[in-house]
Amino acid sequence: MNGWTLTAALVLGGGVGATLWGVATGPLRRRVVAQNLSTALACPALLLLSQGYDRPSYVDLALVLALLGPVGTLVFARLLSGELAGDPPRAQGVTWAAAGLGAAVVLALCVAVGPGRAMAKLLVVGALLVGGNLVASRALSGGFREVSRG
Amino acid sequence: MSPRTALLALAEILAWWAALTVLWLVLISTVDTLELAVGAGAAGAAAVAARAARRAVSGP
Repeated sequence: MNGWTLTAALVLGGGVGATLWGVATGPLRRRVVAQNLSTALACPALLLLSQGYDRPSYVDLALVLALLGPVGTLVFARLLSGELAGDPPRAQGVTWAAAGLGAAVVLALCVAVGPGRAMAKLLVVGALLVGGNLVASRALSGGFREVSRG
Repeated sequence: MSPRTALLALAEILAWWAALTVLWLVLISTVDTLELAVGAGAAGAAAVAARAARRAVSGP
């Protein structure tokens, strides 16, 4: 075990574990936020594991998760827009915390791998992760009128 | 389609193609001639789809 895998274990156990609890319990407004955060936290964990185990192919999993996670949340935001309109979720704190964690992980990995194509790939994954998370969170809280209008 | 709009469409598809080819080259693990050819082909198809999607969202 090294620092990368230890951090990944903390993110997976503490972060993704907490989001699983949030998805399974509580009111709808909390569940959708937890569902959005679960992929936003699993993606940095995969990036950390790729560095910890020295398996670059794990970055591809993180890329797919960073792309499809927010898309899945947008589907929920669209389908549940009626229920969420009266009681919209407000989760700015955790959203920015997850975005900060993703950015910090990507930054640390960029320092570790050094300049090159691998770094460019990490930056693409990081941009998708942070940007997708912020857009999906805003859609959940009713930030885009087009989502509910269809 | 007038020559000007055709030229604009070609320029847009070329821009998409260049950006998507670069993205392909960034995301693959090893760069060789075969990957380059496959990437350029896939980026060509994706460029046409990207222009169609852009027009569907924001109009021509």
